[in-house]
This record gives sequence, structure tokens and C-alpha cells, in this order.
Amino acid sequence: MDNAKQITRVLFESFEPQAIHLFYAIGYLAIAIFIYGVFVQIRKYRRGKADGSWNELFGRFVDMLKTMATHRTLVRRDKSAGRAHGLIFLGFVLLFIGTSTITLEYDILEPLFGIKFWYGNFYLIFSLVLDVAGLSLIVGLLYMMYRRQWLNLPKLDYKRVDRQPGDPDFDRSQYRREDWAFLWSFILIGITGFILEASRLVWLSEQATVWDYRFWSPVGALLAEIMHGLGLTDQSAGVLRPYLWWFHGLLSLTFIACIPYSKIKHIFTAASSLMFKDPLAGRRLPMVPDEQKTAGYKTITDLTWKNLLHLDACTKCGRCQEACPANAVGAPLSPRDVILSLREFANHALSSKELPKEAELDIHGKGIGQVFMETLWSCRTCLACVEICPVAVEHVPIIVQMRRNLVEAGEMEPLLEKTLQTIHKTGNSFGESKRKRAAWTKELPFEVKDARTEPVDILWFVGDYASFDPRNQKVTKSFARLMQHAGVDFGLLFEAELNAGNDVRRVGEEGLYELLASSNIGTLQACDFASIVTTDPHSFNTIRNEYPDFGGQFEIEHYTTLVKRLIETGQIKLKKKLDCRVTFHDPCHLGRYNKGFDAPREVLKLLGCELVEMGRNRDNSFCCGAGGGRIWIPDPVGLEKPSANRMKEAGQIEGLQVFVVSCPKDLTMFEDALKTSGYEGRFVVRELIELIDECVEYEVWEDSAVTA
Amino acid sequence: MKILVAVKQVAALDEDFEIRADEKDVDEDFLLYDLNEWDDFSLEEAMKIKEASASEVEVVVVSVGPDRVDESLRKCLAKGADRAIRIWDDSIEGSDAIAIGRILAAVAQKEAPDMLFAGVQSSDQAYAATGISTAAYLNWPHAAVVANLQYQPGNQSALIRRELEGGLLQEVEINCPAVLTIQLGINKPRYASLRGIKQAAAKAIEQMSLSEIGLSAADVGATHSMSRVRRMYIPSKGRAQMIEGTIAEQAAKLIQIMNEFKGV
Repeated sequence: MDNAKQITRVLFESFEPQAIHLFYAIGYLAIAIFIYGVFVQIRKYRRGKADGSWNELFGRFVDMLKTMATHRTLVRRDKSAGRAHGLIFLGFVLLFIGTSTITLEYDILEPLFGIKFWYGNFYLIFSLVLDVAGLSLIVGLLYMMYRRQWLNLPKLDYKRVDRQPGDPDFDRSQYRREDWAFLWSFILIGITGFILEASRLVWLSEQATVWDYRFWSPVGALLAEIMHGLGLTDQSAGVLRPYLWWFHGLLSLTFIACIPYSKIKHIFTAASSLMFKDPLAGRRLPMVPDEQKTAGYKTITDLTWKNLLHLDACTKCGRCQEACPANAVGAPLSPRDVILSLREFANHALSSKELPKEAELDIHGKGIGQVFMETLWSCRTCLACVEICPVAVEHVPIIVQMRRNLVEAGEMEPLLEKTLQTIHKTGNSFGESKRKRAAWTKELPFEVKDARTEPVDILWFVGDYASFDPRNQKVTKSFARLMQHAGVDFGLLFEAELNAGNDVRRVGEEGLYELLASSNIGTLQACDFASIVTTDPHSFNTIRNEYPDFGGQFEIEHYTTLVKRLIETGQIKLKKKLDCRVTFHDPCHLGRYNKGFDAPREVLKLLGCELVEMGRNRDNSFCCGAGGGRIWIPDPVGLEKPSANRMKEAGQIEGLQVFVVSCPKDLTMFEDALKTSGYEGRFVVRELIELIDECVEYEVWEDSAVTA
Repeated sequence: MKILVAVKQVAALDEDFEIRADEKDVDEDFLLYDLNEWDDFSLEEAMKIKEASASEVEVVVVSVGPDRVDESLRKCLAKGADRAIRIWDDSIEGSDAIAIGRILAAVAQKEAPDMLFAGVQSSDQAYAATGISTAAYLNWPHAAVVANLQYQPGNQSALIRRELEGGLLQEVEINCPAVLTIQLGINKPRYASLRGIKQAAAKAIEQMSLSEIGLSAADVGATHSMSRVRRMYIPSKGRAQMIEGTIAEQAAKLIQIMNEFKGV
């Protein structure tokens, strides 16, 4: 190509020098406004408490890039929106790289070193890629506009469940205006870019180096042909071009200047939020340092910088609200609203030069930006919000931290207060004597070992519900028989076992949790065993994920994995198959918390059951409503219970016979809900253990037990 | 301005308890200890006065009992009491409510509070006498079963409402210093978080001997009490039984039992 150097775009072609200077002046101004905005944001984050999430920064960075490149978190449960975002993202990234490339040559390499590369083949491919990028951007934005205008998605309505119509922060219409301003300005930048490109082609249609290569920018060329067809001459295109140029240029610079002040900042905040994502968020709650005077979050400055960053990452997509069981039944909680309230509060309180007085930083209360006590107590800590958030906002840890403060101030349901006192006094939530914890063993035809006095292979941590609730005791006894039948060498802690503390911690009673955890850890450490098993997913979670923080490192598994192994190795002999249609409810603490999705399903398969999934299953399982201490708080009269909502979902399965659970609290919650929601007689609620029990014939060891 | 709050660590029975060999009390192994429920309310009432007052109000809790009582006193400190005093001497063992009142009065004389609160009664022994006997030894005005209190620190008198039988209320003006025994429900006691209790461990509990409050072993204990426990026992149960079988069988059985009772 002889004329390769001519095949390029002349920047500022036929611009007066003053115009170029003016453009640069405006450009620098936009950058200055941008930098000041970034400074204000960083100053805001620095007003938060320290957080130790700086470790393994490189690995986190790579994970973030992977998440962003694949849009993995964005396509979940909303494929179209995720893909449309992917188009916008792709367009934006390519256009940004393109613009930077031009800047690199025009403003840096050429003036300093005389290096030029933006011509010839490189220029042509560059033009093609950027045309595709622009198209991708516009298509994505058009879908987003369509979605907002015509799909009427409830999650895109920002009206709040915790505020009344008429309250100043009820409908959040400013967010809708911002959304539209963002969409329109962005799409206008794209459209004017193409028209500008086309008008340049028309204007320079006499130059072979421009016109002959026009199809390397296909969208521009197509538009140019249309302009030609409409009778636009090269002269009139030349007149039109400067107006378009300035409009496009100023809009783009305004967009850049606006980034730190508007939702556009999610480009940075969402990425950083993903980078600082805590894989154990909510599964392992933060400890309270001994020297810290008060527990939990009272003021906005009690939040860590990481919390404050997460607040800014929220893009209001509403997936958390859709997944929230409290929200689904009309409780005054939307995880998104908690995040947005705190964000508004932080922006208001922490953005100016001086910090306001301590009293004005209180995030609890009924004022604008403050979070209601009822809202915080509505949370079931089921982690559905944290799990689905595409930008790694960690709602539950913040909610629990705020509850810690409520607990310290005694601002809780009287019944919950009573339960906490009971747990403190007796070590269990039933208020039963410690001596009665293992009373259920007396009805077994064999002795259960005391792990405190003799070594055992497997230590069974039973948990409160499985120990004291009469209905669950039946399951507990079945499990003991199963273990005995399988020849497992197991033992209990008897009266030395205390409530594991999982729910106490999620209520926010950190002091009581510390007491329970350290007592259990001490007891466990004094015993000789290889690993722990439990039928209670709540105990499972805290022993597995939280006890290590208190010095308790134990091997622990939920019974579903153990039983699956025992069946597969033939230690549990199934004498018959169940020919029934079942559905399985994933307990939050087994499934979402600890990814124990498969073992219970595989056991059901081994039993011969036909498993029909409910719509919300596995990571999207719907909480029974008992988590986060809600089992100790009466549900408000008149509101549907999450468990009843779940029964309705199961009721839609044609010919369903058994609703299978694998958590003692689930058994209690759903057996109740079955009766109150009118499905009694249609199907039954059973623990997985009970189904296994039906398939096992015990005569072998029962006989030997009798003769022994 | 100072309010003295007398509290007691009470015992609750565990399941399947056993009586001590000497038959005077339940075997301590089967008892669970906690702060007396009434005392939560009297401490809260003192805390309310302290928190509403513009001038300095000191709330001091006092209890008579062995080491284990410190746990309950710490709970009081966690709820905001400024100081805690515990009196103990082995000779105190076996003291009745009157002798305990003698000890508390001695503490009150030393501390010179403007008000002394106690619970109406303790949930384990239920004599409802300790507060009143304290008032008697102090020779202070007293009011029992107080369900409402209006009192400004520094005032010469307080306005109280007492609960009487049959749903009656009695409004009384009482001169200060006075001893009031506080009834359940007068307020909503605050929650003492476990972190609060743990942090209260740093606050010292003042231990006083009998001599420090001007008493001696000759003033306390079972031998110097006006009443002594002779025996504690579980009364034999009534003879309820479930009659089973068909309706005719049940009727026949019922007639047979009735005849047995009549001695036919």
C-alpha cells in the first residue's frame, strides 16, 4: 500500500487552532472534575474503619477480571439483561481502548518521539473494531431502554417496602430519572458518533483514501450512503460536521466528568467490590475485637471502607430483592434498600470536608437514610441476597453488624430477649435442663458412647432442635440407629454440648456466641475423635466456618455426605426402594452457605425416589423463615410466612408425595406450614433420614443387640 | 444522690432434683442460679432515675451471698450500676429474711443512700420480708409492692402507687430516705448483653466482711434468726390415673373406684 500513511483520520481536520485549544481546555476541566470526584469518594472510604481484605491482591484481581470478562454473575437469573450489559460493556471497553490508542499516538508518542502507527491496515482494522463496538453499545442500550420502558419489572420499581407513600424517600424517583439520563446520554454519544463518522465520509467523499475504504467502518458507510441518498452534499456535510463534532465531544467529556458523581461510577466501584469480595461473607461473620467498646455498627463511620465500597457498587439491579424471602412475604425489608439507604447516608454525611457531629452519624432510626429496627429484624440471614449479587455486595454482614448494636441497646422482640437469656442460662434455646439433652438416647435399644470419656471415630454434634424437639427426636433416634446399623463408631457430648451458636451470632448477640463457641470448642478439644457429623446445617456452618476463628479447627460434615458414603460402600444396606415422587428443599445453611447441594439429591436417587425440583432450588432455594434467629421471633399476624409461601410452590408439583428436608428447623417450620397452608393430606414433609430409615431393615443388629 | 439496690441471686430447680441428705434444702448440684426476677425491675427503676437526672446519681447494688453471686452482680454492673457490694461470711449461712435485713440495714447505714430499693420478694424463698425488715432495722419509712414511682433526686418525698388485693391501687406519698419493694411490670428491664457482662468483669466488686459493716457472727446465721428451716420435702402426689378401655369398661372402672373411695 503506497498511500498507507494517507489512510487514516486527520484529527481536528480543518479546525481553527483556537477551537482545538478550547477543546483541550474543556477536556482538562472534565478530567479535573473527574479527579476531584474520585478524591471525594476515596476520602469517604477512608473515613470507614480498617478492613483486612488486602491479602492475595493479585489472585483477587485475576478473579475480578474473570468475572467481568465472562459476565458470569450478570447473566444469572436474568440472561437478557446480563447479555445486554455484556454488549454495552464490550462496546465501552473497546471504545475506551480505541480512544486511548489515539491519545497515545496524537498526544504522547508523536509529539515526543515522532512515532506514528495509526494508519494503513492498523487504522482500517481499528475502524472496523470500533464500529462493531459502537454497534454493540447501542444495541445493548436499546435493550436496556426497552426493558425499563416496557417490561414493567417489579425490581426496577424503586418504591420502598419499609416506607409509606408520602415519606420523602419513599418512591426514589430520582433514581429513575438518573437511569434514564444515563441511558439517553450514553446512547446519544454512540449515535452521534456514528452520524459524525458518516458525515465525515460524505464530506470527504472526494478523497479516495477516505471514500474507497469506507466499508472498514460499515455502520458509518451505511449511514453515509443513506445521507447521500437523501441528497446530502459533501459541502453541507462539511457544514453539519463541526456541530455534530462539538455535540459528541462535549457530551462525551460531560459523561467522563460525571462518572464519580453518578451511577456511572459502578464501572470502578463494582469492579473493586468484586475484587474485595469475601468468599466466606455471611458464612463467617466478623469477630468483635475484645478492646472494642461497643459491638456492631451504630454510626456510618463504624462501617469498614470495604462496606462503604460495597454500598457504592450497588447498581440497583434488584436481584437481591427478588431473592429475599422476607421481601417475598411483604416484610419491611429489601436488601437493596438497606444498601441504598446506607449509601445515601454515607454520601450525605461523609462527602464534605468536615465530618458532622457524632449524633448525625447514627444510622439507626426513622429518619431519611436511617435503617428501621423492623427492617433489620426482618432478615433471615439466608444469604440469598449476598449469593445473587452480581457485584459482590455483602448485605448480611452489614445487617448483622447493625443488629449487634440493637442487641446491645436491648432493641429487640421481648421473646427473642427471653430466648437469649434462656440460652445463656441453660445452654439451649428450649430452656431445658442440660441433663435432658441426651434423654432421647434412653429409648434406643443400644448404648450411645460418651465421647468425653472414650475415643470415638465420629463425634455427633446433635444441636438443640434435634435434641429437644419431640418431633425431631424421632429423626435423631433414626439417625442413631442408622449409624449403629452401619457400624459407625460414634459418640455424643451429652450434657456438655451447648447450642452451637450459629443463630445466636446471626441475631447479633456476639458475646453470647463467644461464650457458646468457646465452651463447645473447649469440650470438643478435650475429646478424642477423628471428625464431627451433625444433622443440623446451622451447627454445621458455624463449626465449619466460624469456630476456626476461635481456635477450633475440626473436620466436620453434614450427615447427608456421610450417609451417601455409607450407602455407596454398602455399610447401610437398603432393603427396598421407595417408589415416590419427591421434591427437595435445600436448607440455606447446607446449600447456599456450604454448597451441599448434591449429596442429599444423590441419596434420594439411591433410595429410588423420583425427584422433581421446585422452581427455586439449589442456590436459589427459598428460606423456610427460621434463620437468623427468626425462629425465636413471632411472625407478624396477617403476613404470609415464608414457609407457607414455599408450601404453595411445592403444591404446584403434580402428584407430589413427599417434601423432603434435611434440617431439623425445616422439619418444624414446614410441618407447621403444611397444616396452616391447607396442603395437609396432599403430601407430607419428611426428613431425608426418615426416608432412608424406611428402606433399612434392622433385624440383623437388633437381634444381636437383644442377644448380646 | 445515691440509690442502693438490694439484689439476690435466686435458685431455680433443675429437672429431677434431689433433696440434700440433711433434708434442709435441695442439693446444690440441681440448682441453677440467676438474678431474682424482681431485682431486674428494681435495678431498672434506679437506672431510670439515674438516666433522667440532671445531677449525678450513683446506683449501688448490694447482695448477701457467696462467690457465685458475683456473676449476678456483674450482670447488674453490665446494666449500668456504678458499684457492686457483696457481703459474705460463712456464719451468714442459714440466715432468715430478718437476719438478711439486719445485714442490708448495716450496709445502708454505711452507704447512706437517699433511697433503698428491693424486689417485692425472691422467686425461690418468697418470704417477701427482706426489704421490709431492712426498713425496720433502719427505722425508715417503707412501702411494699410499688407499681409506680415518681421521684426526683433531691426531693424530700416520693409519690408512689402500690398494688393492693383485688386490683386496687393505693397512692402514697412517702418521705425519703425510704425503702421501696418494687413489683414486676413497673418498667421494662433492659437487656444485659454478654459483651456488657464480660466488660463489667473489669469493674471491681467490693467484698465486705461483717466487721466492716459493724456486725459480727453473733448477729447472723440460723441460730440468730427468728425462723429456721426444719425440713424440705416433696409432698406425695395425688392419685390421678387415666382410665382406659371401651366406654362401658371405663364406666365400670369409674364405679369401682368410687366404691373404693366410699369404702364399700
